[in-house]
Amino acid sequence: MRQTLFLVLLLSISLLSCGKKSDGIELKDWNFGGRPQLIEFLRARVISFEKTHPGIRVEQSDKSWNMIREILYADFSAGAGPDVMNTHANFAAEFGEAGYYYPINKFPDFEQVKSWYVPHVMESTRYKDDYYGLPASAIAFVLCCNKELFDKEGIAPPKTWSQFREAARRLTKDADGDGVADQFGLVLMGGDKGGFAYRMIPFFFKAGANVMSEDLTKIEFNSPRGIAALKLIADMYQVDHSITPGFLAYTHSEINDLFCSNKVAMSIEGPWFRGMVNDKSPGKDMYVVPVPVPDDMLAQYDTAPTLQDMIMYSINARSKHVNESWELIKYLRNQEADMYWITQDLGATATTQKALASKEAQGVRDIQLYVNELNHARPWPPHPSMIAIASNVFTPYCQKAVVGEMTPKAALDQAAREAQDIVDGKK
Amino acid sequence: MRKSTPYLLLVPALLFTVFVVVYPLVQNLINSVCDVSMIRGGKGWIGLRNYELVFKDTVFWLAFRNTAVYAVVGTVVALVVGLGFALLLNLKVGRINSIAAFLFTIPWVISPVVAGFAWKWILNDRFGIVNHWLASAGLVQIGTSWLGDPQTALVCVMLARIWQFYPFAMVMFLAGLQAIPQEQYEAAAVDGATMIRRFFYITIPNLKSVSSVLLVLGVIWSFNDFNMVFVMTRGGPMNASMVLPVLVRELTFVHFDLGRGSALSIIIFVMLVSLSYLYLRMVSEKDAA
Repeated sequence: MRQTLFLVLLLSISLLSCGKKSDGIELKDWNFGGRPQLIEFLRARVISFEKTHPGIRVEQSDKSWNMIREILYADFSAGAGPDVMNTHANFAAEFGEAGYYYPINKFPDFEQVKSWYVPHVMESTRYKDDYYGLPASAIAFVLCCNKELFDKEGIAPPKTWSQFREAARRLTKDADGDGVADQFGLVLMGGDKGGFAYRMIPFFFKAGANVMSEDLTKIEFNSPRGIAALKLIADMYQVDHSITPGFLAYTHSEINDLFCSNKVAMSIEGPWFRGMVNDKSPGKDMYVVPVPVPDDMLAQYDTAPTLQDMIMYSINARSKHVNESWELIKYLRNQEADMYWITQDLGATATTQKALASKEAQGVRDIQLYVNELNHARPWPPHPSMIAIASNVFTPYCQKAVVGEMTPKAALDQAAREAQDIVDGKK
Repeated sequence: MRKSTPYLLLVPALLFTVFVVVYPLVQNLINSVCDVSMIRGGKGWIGLRNYELVFKDTVFWLAFRNTAVYAVVGTVVALVVGLGFALLLNLKVGRINSIAAFLFTIPWVISPVVAGFAWKWILNDRFGIVNHWLASAGLVQIGTSWLGDPQTALVCVMLARIWQFYPFAMVMFLAGLQAIPQEQYEAAAVDGATMIRRFFYITIPNLKSVSSVLLVLGVIWSFNDFNMVFVMTRGGPMNASMVLPVLVRELTFVHFDLGRGSALSIIIFVMLVSLSYLYLRMVSEKDAA
């Protein structure tokens, strides 16, 4: 018996000693989501990094974008996780507050690296006084108009809320003549709580409403301007019937199908939408314009802020190799690498000044619009509970107002009360 | 063999159980009485405050009601459907029996996530086959949103769950039917009992223990079902199809309030343990009989 146990022990020790031995430094890089060509590009970029940085080996893993928060929180709270990862820029607040991200402004060459990026975009990686990532790709929420339907109706993309409402009304019709409307002016992503909030807030921002006060202590989305924005959508649904009746069940795929099959004329989307539509319906064209503004703000049509979203590369605060991680994220996100966002359709806009000013950038469709929108856009307020508030408080109440279960004012007031409780730590 | 050897051999299994079952359970229990937020850090021991917050939350009661309906009504209907198919298969009409048994069992072997996505498309308001058929028959209009309507979302998810669970019930009932002594039917036939009377006085009583076990098992599994609801509706629209396992996910991974998430998990755990106890009692009573 003793011999057997000794053998088992010996075998276990031998197996344990068979693990990979690393002569240098090994970095873990987790890549969340991304189109296949981006993943290929990042692999090639890492191989190139390893060649130019002898002694550093990078182990890349691809992870699900949908599970990003769960995966990172689980790992970070267990003291683990990768050295480097790409995440939402609004995680800067959550993970920065929790001490999971390394403040990259501590690196001596940070100011020089910071100057690579569009300043407005770089600011989105900041939480309080620290910066927690390098911008990877930026998104400004815009209005995508189905060109075929707009041209057929002979109307131009709307600029004001009145034009928007009128366009949606005119584009809602019984296209197959069976007596029932089967083409709608606008579609909303109601089946994805986060996605819905991301498509409502551009109207709030364009109208001049805030989500929170500057000092992040008070919820403000129930201001008169915010209520007016929600009333616009509620009226379009309840009075004009120009929003798809089944929007509460829609996610990305349904919206794409409806747009490609000419069942809807408009959707609030971002730079990914043209590629997504063309993957399904090659050659289908669209007008990409800013989200409409209230009628009295027409003069600010090009400058009123929309919602900005961004992906950034961050460093785990518990990484044993923060300096090497910094070298890696700089290499992945320098101006040379950023040109890939110009030459390929990756569903987001490049973020470095050099790439955006390049000759190649001039030929990219819609880029001037997206750059202009990004120059004025605002991200969600950098409050650590913002995602929970947006998904589980703001969205359900806005949806109740849209379908008529509550008035816009009552819905936003109630949502503001519950969100304020979360901000105050009462809930 | 030394006296200690059997105990020594049990150590790996015990260690595994401790790490995989006991430790998470105890940690969950501790979290449920502490303020543990992955965002704010937390303030430590707060007694039963998390439970109080869970019970005060209107979404919890909505999710509890939905879960109960989803589990009980869904399971009962699945059992009725399963029994119906089992009776058909028990007719033994030749080779078609095995082909039908194979076809009827398919839903059971499909992953709930795949099934959820498939049902989502089947019920799609514009392109779904259900609306296409119903509209062709003049029953509804194309565009009827089954999953986007708070009145019908839970029913649709339940329908998908019934579709997935009935094959298991069918197989169990079929085994039960085949174990019923034929003499009972023959004696009843001699006494002039009709088919309906034979069904209610012989078949149903003989299937009582199988039905009870299936009911409890079905309720436990449905009570714990996360995949189907999350894939099809994510608990929406406007929380209309919210169930307790999805709410745990919302509290834990959207609000990152580990304390409240743990408290709700413990509440679900207590409910499931009670149901499991019921199940074990039924099984032991059946064995004793």
